[in-house]
Amino acid sequence: MEAADKNLIYLYCVTGKAPKLKEVENLVDELYFVYQLGLYAVVSKVKESEFSEENLKKNLADLEWIKAKAIIHEKVIEGIMKNTCVIPFKFATIFDTEDNLKAMLEEHVQDLKEKLKNLEGKEEWGVKIYCDIERLKAAVIHEESGILKIEKEINSSSSGKAYFLKKKKEELMKEAVNKRINEYGQESFELFKMLSCEARINKLLPKEVTEKEDDMVLNSAFLVDKDKVSEFIHAVDDLKTRYNDKGLNFDCTGPWPPYNFCNLSKGKEQSG
Amino acid sequence: MDKRIKTLQDKDSYLDIQKERKVTLVEVLDRVLDKGAVVSGDIVISIADVDLIYIGLKVLVSSVETMERLRGAPFSGATEEPT
Repeated sequence: MEAADKNLIYLYCVTGKAPKLKEVENLVDELYFVYQLGLYAVVSKVKESEFSEENLKKNLADLEWIKAKAIIHEKVIEGIMKNTCVIPFKFATIFDTEDNLKAMLEEHVQDLKEKLKNLEGKEEWGVKIYCDIERLKAAVIHEESGILKIEKEINSSSSGKAYFLKKKKEELMKEAVNKRINEYGQESFELFKMLSCEARINKLLPKEVTEKEDDMVLNSAFLVDKDKVSEFIHAVDDLKTRYNDKGLNFDCTGPWPPYNFCNLSKGKEQSG
Repeated sequence: MDKRIKTLQDKDSYLDIQKERKVTLVEVLDRVLDKGAVVSGDIVISIADVDLIYIGLKVLVSSVETMERLRGAPFSGATEEPT
């Protein structure tokens, strides 16, 4: 609580109706909203010592800090989302002054309003597919005549030849597995896409991040009509059952704030 | 393996199928750090290059934390505040 520590403004989300702050105001200090041209920006005051560009960079090297702040970011938006449609902003979107925030709202007013209209009555759901590669291998080997043939040959070959045949077999196995993963992933994605209004495929996360034993083979997000959510979830469950013996596992989570479906068209940084 | 574990009794019937479950922190970070509306220009300080994979490989080594997402229930878990 230093007197010299200037306040900055942290933007969580924008809504088209007055947001109910009561439920979330215990999460952060000085949570309030700023109204401009029919838009409400849910913000809180944060300290320059933590969120100035320079200090933010330092804090971003601290995972504990990121975790704590990211959870607050998510929870504030989730709380607001219970009562009204939101456009969630990216973690640590900071304004120097309220005037700057208002200028941003003004600049994007049309786009933000269109986005809100489009998001009304819809929810974001995420589907991640993981694959136990060894299990998939075991499941598909019987369907791969080329591999079975090589296996037989290996058994009746000299050790020198068997070595090369084994190499060959491994290669074929890898190909077959990749082909299946692509096939199953594609098929699943297309099905979920059909049940949703919009769909995105995101970067796969490595095991170091997911901390799962299985490999992530699809990371996708869907904007689903609220009326269709149960159908959507059932579809995921169906595929989960269908592909269970192939070593695939489906992780379906939501409803999330529509992080994946609110790229602002005027912004310059979204293409990357 | 299944993340959609019911952790608490239903508190309301917002969504019958699955509203209370554990979601890993990774799920949250995957969205919060990487997605969401982005504004650019002089009037905003916005982080352009936080990459979960980068962070993950560097430091997310021992995170076994999960956070409870309590749908339709009060925010009982969040106590940390920025000050």
